[in-house]
Amino acid sequence: MTGQRASLIAIVVILGGLVGVSALNSSSPGDFGITLLSGLFQGMLLFLVASGLSIVFGLMDVLNLAQGSYFMVGAYVAYDAQHAGGLIDLTAVIPDPNLRFIIAVIAAVLAGALLGYLLERGLLRPLYSRPIFQLVLTFGVSLVALELVKFIWTTTPYSWTELFGVRESFFELFGQRFSTYRLFVVGMGGVLIVTIALLLQRSRIGIIIRAGVEDREMVQALGINVRAVFTLVFTLGCAIAAFGGAIAAPFLGASTTLGNAFLLQSIAVVVLGGMGSYSGTAVGSVLVGLAIAVAQDVAIGTDFAALPSITPMLLLVLVLLLRPSGLFGNSR
Amino acid sequence: MKTMQAPNQPTWRHWLRGNAFLFILLIGLILFPFIVGALTDSSPFGVPRGDRMIMRGESVRWQSVLIEVYILAILAMSYNLLFGFTGVISFGHALFFGVAGYVLGLMLEFTAIETGWALLLGALAGIAICGVLGLVVGLVTLRLKGVYFAIFTLAVAEMAFIFFGRWQLTRAEDGFAITELPLWLDPSQNRLNFYYVTLIAVVITFLFIRRLVNSPTGAVFKAIRENEDRAQSMGFNTLNYKLLSLTIAGMLAGAAGLLQVILNKKVGPELLGVSYTVDPLLMTIIGGIGTFSGPIIGAGGLHFLDVFLRDAELNLGGLVIDIANIWALLLGIIFILTVIVFPFGIIGTWQRWRARRKPPA
Amino acid sequence: MTPILEVRDIHTFIGQFHILEGVSVSVASGGITVLLGRNGAGKTTTLRSIMGLTPPTRGSIQFEGNPIQGKSTHAIAQMGIGYVPEHRAIFKGLTVRENLILAERKTGDYARKADFIFELFPDLKRLIELPGGNLSGGQQQMLAVARALVPDNRLLLIDEPSEGLAPVIIEQLIAAIQRLADQVSVLLVEQNFRVASKLAQSYVIIEEGHSRVNGAMNELVGDQSLIQRYLGVA
Repeated sequence: MTGQRASLIAIVVILGGLVGVSALNSSSPGDFGITLLSGLFQGMLLFLVASGLSIVFGLMDVLNLAQGSYFMVGAYVAYDAQHAGGLIDLTAVIPDPNLRFIIAVIAAVLAGALLGYLLERGLLRPLYSRPIFQLVLTFGVSLVALELVKFIWTTTPYSWTELFGVRESFFELFGQRFSTYRLFVVGMGGVLIVTIALLLQRSRIGIIIRAGVEDREMVQALGINVRAVFTLVFTLGCAIAAFGGAIAAPFLGASTTLGNAFLLQSIAVVVLGGMGSYSGTAVGSVLVGLAIAVAQDVAIGTDFAALPSITPMLLLVLVLLLRPSGLFGNSR
Repeated sequence: MKTMQAPNQPTWRHWLRGNAFLFILLIGLILFPFIVGALTDSSPFGVPRGDRMIMRGESVRWQSVLIEVYILAILAMSYNLLFGFTGVISFGHALFFGVAGYVLGLMLEFTAIETGWALLLGALAGIAICGVLGLVVGLVTLRLKGVYFAIFTLAVAEMAFIFFGRWQLTRAEDGFAITELPLWLDPSQNRLNFYYVTLIAVVITFLFIRRLVNSPTGAVFKAIRENEDRAQSMGFNTLNYKLLSLTIAGMLAGAAGLLQVILNKKVGPELLGVSYTVDPLLMTIIGGIGTFSGPIIGAGGLHFLDVFLRDAELNLGGLVIDIANIWALLLGIIFILTVIVFPFGIIGTWQRWRARRKPPA
Repeated sequence: MTPILEVRDIHTFIGQFHILEGVSVSVASGGITVLLGRNGAGKTTTLRSIMGLTPPTRGSIQFEGNPIQGKSTHAIAQMGIGYVPEHRAIFKGLTVRENLILAERKTGDYARKADFIFELFPDLKRLIELPGGNLSGGQQQMLAVARALVPDNRLLLIDEPSEGLAPVIIEQLIAAIQRLADQVSVLLVEQNFRVASKLAQSYVIIEEGHSRVNGAMNELVGDQSLIQRYLGVA
C-alpha cells in the first residue's frame, strides 16, 4: 500500500528530525536521554487523553471538547486524596503514602468514569440528532468543569508535596540523574497502549467498536445495542483521561490550566494520527510528546518562551495544511 | 417575498409597519441617555471640571453599560451570521475581536501617525486584516468536515492568545493603555458621542446582516446550513459561500474589537481570551440561533444579568457566595441547559409559538 | 397460513420528504416475497422502515404477530430479523471471521452455524482470515448473506443481492438463497426481473411510495401488460 508507506516515511522523517534537533541541541548523551524521556513521558500522558478522544470520535462522531477537563479533574482528585486537608483526607486512615497513592489513582479513575457516564447519558444522548450541538455542549461542559474546579479547589495551583516510593527515586545513566517516576509513567502508558490494542483486536467489544467506526447503522441492524456501546466507550475514555491526570499529578501538580493545555495537545495528536485511528493516536502521542520536549529544550535561554506551548498548535496547523486526514487517517 | 396587501401604500410606510417595534426601540435607545439623565437628575455629558469632563453620574454610567451591550451584540451578530445562518461553528471568534483590537492599539500607540489618521488607518487595517485572516483560516479548513474548522479556530485563537500574552513589545500579559484618542470619540471625555457611534454601528450591522441573509447569497448560506451536500448538488460552490460568510463575520467581529479597545482604552491579551468566543456563542444560542434580533436580545439579557448580579450574594443555608465568583459557572450551566432544553433560544421559541398560534393563511 | 411479516399502510419521511405514502406488504411464512418497482419507488426505504432505520410515522408492522414499529433497530433485529442491505455493507476492516462473529446474538452461534454457512458458500471458508475489504464483490455479497444466517433469524430482508455481479456469481447466489429459503422466510428487493421471477413465489409492486399490486409470481410472469406498466421491462 503506497498510502501506508507514505505515512511510515513521514513518521520516520518527523521522528528523525526531532531526534536530530534534540541531539544537536544537547551537550551530552545524558542531556539527550533526559529530553527523550521527558518527551516519552509527555507523549504517554497525551495518549491517555487522546485515545478516548479518538475512539469516541471514530465511533460516535462526537468530538469531546471536555476530554481535557477529565484529565484535570483526575489530577485534582488524586492530589486531594493524597494530601492532608482538602475534601477527602486519607492521611490518618492510610498512613502509607504508596498505598494512598494507589487509592488516590483509583478514586480519580472512578470520578472520571462517573462524570463521563453522566455526561454521555444525561447530556449527550438527547443530542445525537443534532451533532453540531453536541460539540457546543461538550465545549460548555469543559467551561463548567473548569469553573467547578476553581470553585472547589480555588485557582491557586497545587504542587505535589507528599512523596512516595517511585516518585522519589532516581537512576543514573551517562552521568545524569533520571526520575524513576517518569520511566514508570512511560511504562504504564506502554502497557495501556498494548492492552487497549489487544482489546480492540481480540475482544467482542473491540470488534463491535471497530465495526461501529465503519458503519454504525449496520452494527445496529445486526442486533447490537450501539447506544450501550457508546456509553461504555465514552465512560472508559473519560476514566482513562482521569487516570492520566492522576498519574501526571505527582509531576505536574494540579492546576486549572491542565485541562485546556492537554485538550489542545491531544487534539493535535488525534488530527496528526488521523481521526478515529487507534494506531495513529498512539504514534501521534509519541511524536507530539517528543516535539514538545524538544521545543522546551530549544526554547531555554531564547526569546521563544512560548514555543513549547505553541508547538502542538503549529503541528496541528501544519497537518491540516499538508495532509488533513492525518498519518493513518482514511480520506473520508 | 411580495405581499399582496396594500400595493398602493408608499414603500417607506410599509417598511415602517414591518419594523415598528424596532423603530420604537431605536428611538428609545437614542433618547436613553437623556431619559436616564432626567430620571436620576444627572447630566448625560458628565460633570465639567475645568476644561475637562469627569464621567460621573447615573446617565454616564448606564451609557457605558449599553455601549458594552452594543459591542457584544455586534460580536454576537457576526457569530450568528456564521453559525446561525451558515451553519459553520467556530471556537475561536475571539481571534478576530482581539487581532483587530491589537492592530488599532499598535497603530495609535506605536506609530508616529497623527491621532485622527491613526484611528482611521488602524480601524481600516484592523478590519481588513480580520477579513484576510478569515479568508486564510477558511481556505485551510472549510474544505474539510466542520469539526476540523472548529478545532482549527480553537487552536489558532489559543496560539494568538499565547503569542500576544508573551509579546514584549505589547507589554505581554499586562497589555498597554491607549492614551491617544481624538477628543470627540474619547469615552472618558465625550462618552455620549461614543454611545451614538456604537449605537450606529449596531444598527448598521443589523441592517447589513438582514439585507445579506435575505439576499440570494443569504439563501445559499441557509441552504448550506440545512444540507451542504444538497446545496453543492444544486450547483453552488459552497466553499466560496462559506468563505464569504466567514470573512464578513471576521470583519464584523473585528469591528466589535475596535470598539472594545476604544471603550476600555486598553489593549491586552484578554481580548483574545476564550470569553470573547463563549459570550457570542452563548448570546446567540440564548437569543435564538439564526434569528435577526436573537443575538441582540441575548447580548442585552446576559450583560444586564451580569451587571445586576455582579454585586449580589447568594445565601445557601448560611453559606454566602458572591455571585461574581460563580458568574462564569452560572453562565456555563445556563449554556448547557439552553442547548439541551431550549435550543431555539428566546426569539426562536417565540417565533415558533407565534407560528403555531397563527397558522399562515 | 398466517404471514410471518405483515406491513400495513406505512408512511415514512426522510427529512421533509414523504418517501412512503402507504405501503403494505405481507410475507408468507416459509416463502420468498419480492418487492418490485422502478428506481426510487421506495423499495429500499420499505426494508429500512421495517428495520427501524427510517422509522415509519404511520401504519403498523407485525412480525410473527407482534408489533415492531417504533422499536429500536437492534431490538427489531433481536426478534429474529436479518438485514442484508444494498451495496453489501460488510465491514471492510474486519476479517471474514470477525464479520461473522459480530453477527452472533448468543455466544456459539457462529460455531453452530459454520458448517451450514460454508456448505452454502464454500469460498468463504478459504477467505476466513482475510479482511472483508479484500473480497471481490460477489464474495462480499455472500458474506453479507452469510452474516444474516449466523443467528437464528426467521426472516431475512435482502436488498438488491444481484446488483453489479457477474452472471455466474448470480447463479450461485440464486442457488444459495433458494437453499436457505427452506429455513427462513425472505423479503427480497430485486431489480433484475429474471432473478426475481426465479426466486420468489409472490410479489408486491411499489410505485411512487405506494404499494400498487400484489399476487403470485407465476401470474405476474404471464401478465406482460402489468410488467410493462409498472416495471418498464419486457
